[in-house]
Amino acid sequence: MEGLLAAPRAWIETFGEIFGFCARVVREVFDLRVFKFFGEVLRQAGILIVSSTLVIWGLVFIIGLECGVEGAYFDNANGVAAYAGVFAAWCDLRELVPYAFGYMMAAKVGTGIVAELGSMRISDEIDALEVMGISGVTFLCATRLLAAWLVLPFVYICSIGAGFFASYLVVVHQIGDVSSGGFLQIFWEFQNPPDLLYSVIKAMVMATIIVLVGCYYGYNASGGPVGVGTATAKSMVLNIVSVHIVGMLGTQLFWGANPRAPIGG
Amino acid sequence: MERYRFVGPDDDGGGRDPAPPPSRVSVVDEQPPRPAPPEGANEEEYKWHTYRQYPSGRPDAVEFIDTYKAFGRNKILRGLNMGLPEGMVSMIVGPSGTGKSVCIKHMVGLLYPDAGDVLVHGVSVPNMRDDDLFEMRKKFGLLFQDGALFGSMNLYDNVAFPLRQHTEKGEDEVEHIVNRRLDEVGLGHSRDKYPNELSGGMRKRAGFARALVLEPSIVLFDEPDSGLDPVRTSLLGELIQEVHRDMMDEAKKENKEHLPTFCVITHNVMMARRVADYLNVLWKGRIVEAGPAEDMLNSENPFIQQFLAGESRGPLTMD
Repeated sequence: MEGLLAAPRAWIETFGEIFGFCARVVREVFDLRVFKFFGEVLRQAGILIVSSTLVIWGLVFIIGLECGVEGAYFDNANGVAAYAGVFAAWCDLRELVPYAFGYMMAAKVGTGIVAELGSMRISDEIDALEVMGISGVTFLCATRLLAAWLVLPFVYICSIGAGFFASYLVVVHQIGDVSSGGFLQIFWEFQNPPDLLYSVIKAMVMATIIVLVGCYYGYNASGGPVGVGTATAKSMVLNIVSVHIVGMLGTQLFWGANPRAPIGG
Repeated sequence: MERYRFVGPDDDGGGRDPAPPPSRVSVVDEQPPRPAPPEGANEEEYKWHTYRQYPSGRPDAVEFIDTYKAFGRNKILRGLNMGLPEGMVSMIVGPSGTGKSVCIKHMVGLLYPDAGDVLVHGVSVPNMRDDDLFEMRKKFGLLFQDGALFGSMNLYDNVAFPLRQHTEKGEDEVEHIVNRRLDEVGLGHSRDKYPNELSGGMRKRAGFARALVLEPSIVLFDEPDSGLDPVRTSLLGELIQEVHRDMMDEAKKENKEHLPTFCVITHNVMMARRVADYLNVLWKGRIVEAGPAEDMLNSENPFIQQFLAGESRGPLTMD
């Protein structure tokens, strides 16, 4: 019996540790201690923009194409080709753009943080920082979180634009069963500004979790290079699962009671 | 008001608050009674531990008081009592895996003892609040085994980093200090190089320059000789002595409250013989004997004699 309980107990302990660590990082931001290292925040923001923006937009563009193609052919087969914009609007804004954003954040940013902090941990760089009287949690983790909060809303809104543009291109110009005006009328009719806000909230919750999980696994890495590799894999698993949980809960919460399509039943 | 708390292995963790202990300025060769062996060990295992401490004539900058530390079932420090006298180059020597690096991490509060206490200039490290701990760490410079330079910065920025974070100095002054420190360790020509472009010895010297840049009163070296050839090791030893002398002169001139204390962790006997003013010989989590280098080199303890001569025959075996 004791053996059976050991695994769940270890999971609960790990989740407790992760939660405690994340709360500490968030507190460092809201305590404003992080502003002591605002230069580092800006540097991390710059790294995010330069190294991750294009790849996120690229993935979302491809997802937008896919959304457009599926919506156009499905609606065409059912005799409502003019309604291809509905599928594109909902699919892009509510689901696939947040998921694609979450996947790329986990794969590029999350694993990058684990690898960077993990290698700093095993080469004693984090200890060196602490011995200099600088809190590693504030300097390395809180700065990354604040940088993500500063930069990612804009990156994400542009991603939505990339997804919309891709769907428009494929439905109107490649398949061509609906005119530009017809597509856009339906497309905009089936979304409103709060939908955009909800979508941004969904993506930012994903991004926050991904950055915090990356910081946790990197900051607490041990066991040499193999340990860093293991920590990277674990962070990826947890982040992908978290992205889907946030996606599901976000859809239920924000659009579950939508009278036009009550997903919540 | 500084707080003091002493916790022993039998303490319930509640601690007590006695008057602050006086620093141990050991000038009289009075030895305390022999302590009992740690729990789970017998007298036979500790028969070479005389616990003798030859007087240094100086107050201790760092003191370990009955310190215990275990990692799981692996007991590392087992009632360690040790002091690092102010104004001296002290060395902690002993066989591999005996807890030398763990001692350094306790001094700077990267690890906390399971029981006992660690005092820095008379103040208990385990009982400090986080803010006080970060402030206290500014007293320390620490040279890690591989230098622990930040891989994302070049040499100049690595050495300038503590100055930029902790002082209000302008960039001109920072540049002057960094260049002086880099020249001191012979790396003035490599200031634009990144850590991965440097050899092991260069990384150590760069780490040394960074450790000194805030003019700390205690400088710790974690196996500075590891991975270095004998000549580079000798040169590094000379550099440590030279810098310590300079810092002593400066401290005396400026009448500083605490004289600079250097502590080198090593199992390199040659380095210990050449560089140390004071030797702590650590084995099985306790000090075998400690004292000024001259006294220790003339010690009659067979373990000390074997270790400091690097002999294969004696109390220390492969077990």
